[in-house]
Amino acid sequence: MIEFVNVKKEYNHDVVALDNISLNIGKGEFAFLVGPSGSGKSTFLKLMIKEEEPTSGKILIDGKDIGKLKNKDIPFLRRKIGFVFQDFRLLYDRDVYENISFALRVIECSEREIKTQVKNVLEMVGLSGKEKYYPNQLSGGEQQRVALARALAPKPPIIIADEPTGNLDPITAEEIFKTLLDINARGTTILVVTHAKDIVNTLNRRVIALDHGKIVKDEQKGGY
Amino acid sequence: MTTRTYLIKEGYDNLKKHGSKTFSTMLIICATMLVLGIFIILFQNVNKNVETVRLEQGLQAFIDDTATDDEIEYMQDEIKQIEGVKEVKYIDKDMAYEDAKEAFKDQEYFLEGLDKVDIFPASFVVTFSNIDQSSTIKTAVEKVDGIYKVKYNETTIQAVISVSKIVNIFLLGVGAVLLIVSIFIISNTIKLAVYSNKREIFIMRYIGATNKFIRTPFVIEGTIMGLVSAIISFIVISIAYVLIYARIPKVGSSLGVFGFLPYSTLWYQILIVYVFLGLFIGIFGSAISIKKYLKA
Ligand SMILES: Nc1ncnc2c1ncn2[C@@H]1O[C@H](COP(=O)(O)OP(=O)(O)OP(=O)(O)O)[C@@H](O)[C@H]1O
Ligand SMILES: [Mg+2]
Repeated sequence: MIEFVNVKKEYNHDVVALDNISLNIGKGEFAFLVGPSGSGKSTFLKLMIKEEEPTSGKILIDGKDIGKLKNKDIPFLRRKIGFVFQDFRLLYDRDVYENISFALRVIECSEREIKTQVKNVLEMVGLSGKEKYYPNQLSGGEQQRVALARALAPKPPIIIADEPTGNLDPITAEEIFKTLLDINARGTTILVVTHAKDIVNTLNRRVIALDHGKIVKDEQKGGY
Repeated sequence: MTTRTYLIKEGYDNLKKHGSKTFSTMLIICATMLVLGIFIILFQNVNKNVETVRLEQGLQAFIDDTATDDEIEYMQDEIKQIEGVKEVKYIDKDMAYEDAKEAFKDQEYFLEGLDKVDIFPASFVVTFSNIDQSSTIKTAVEKVDGIYKVKYNETTIQAVISVSKIVNIFLLGVGAVLLIVSIFIISNTIKLAVYSNKREIFIMRYIGATNKFIRTPFVIEGTIMGLVSAIISFIVISIAYVLIYARIPKVGSSLGVFGFLPYSTLWYQILIVYVFLGLFIGIFGSAISIKKYLKA
């Protein structure tokens, strides 16, 4: 589902953020991407959605070489990948329903599809009944779940999350990871960047560790 | 709510969010349209008057001095056969001299000592049955052998024509400047709307919105401003014209008197220009201001 072949990424011709990365994350897999600050984790995710271009190498998403995509095809690549951010990136002047339906409007769903799908994803993240709340009326964990619901709404085959629990307390973080596991159990491929050592250790999933842009560890049932 | 109605609603919401800016933008667009409207009105009125005078007075074709009487007769026949020609009147050198004397009645000293043969050539006065053919007739007459110069007999409105030329150039210049200002102002207003929605646009791009989807509400915002300005300008200029028209002479009321066209022959031209101008200013102005946010 996600394949990197000899990918190198340099910023400004001197900072090597990723150095000759090759790996393959299969359909339906759940993987953690860990490593110290500046090791290239966010860069890895940005390359997947073409927010950044690799200096060399090839990236395949769902079997397709994304280096060959034209600018106008990028939105369609991004529709395959639900992105969850550390800082949620919600729209604070719109309620929960609008925040989620927004993602469905973008892909031009009908109003009826939007209604049922918003209801579905709110149920999945455990926020049923909060449609009319504004983000500021919700706790941090709830806001992150709204962001997760928004990423899920268009039913992308891949979810990537960049430190989704970085701003949350351990218990709330655990709930978010539970939700991610649920979603994974329904077949969605998931890649999560995290510093939450304890959770990585208890969940026993694939762990890919980066350091200075290189893969230093890749274990199927790994720990931090 | 379909995608389209959603995008239109978003554009409309933007307009309301920046109410006073929207208002001042539309004011500038209206000013542009009014100036261009006045241009159209003057231009059409002058053209119509010139046409009327041409139809009434026709054109004058001057004959080479070397032409013999037979040749002149032959030329007259030839011109008569041109389509759209109503009448061809021959004016010989003596008549031309008499005409000139008549014209300079009080200043006959002008003509004293002049060799009338050289100064006043023989000519034909050609009148038209159909004004639309005036320019083709003119070219056809110019091609006739023995004719060395052809001009419209429009002396009576020559002054109007030259004044209107200056006024038209001035109006077109002002209109062009205002058009550029309008596009600049509308694109600035849209830029403000884009800026206040920056976060939204940023998120939209992450969740796979196409450029078209992102652009549409802003283009709609610009288009609404353009079209509403067009309608307001049209109403203002229509009322003004009808009020002024009631107090002035009409076209063709008497030979050579400058008269105005009835509004029924003008309104649709103004409306069409306004609608296209409104669309152009709105779409072009908004498209340029959103462009830099759409780089993938
Ligand atoms: N836009 C950029 N321009 C220049 N250098 C950059 C840019 N983005 C990242 N870098 C550099 O690339 C390297 C990897 O950055 P990246 O953001 O991928 O790290 P990270 O693993 O996500 O770190 P963190 O855990 O702190 O988020 C760092 O040295 C960083 O300074
Ligand atoms: Mg990072």
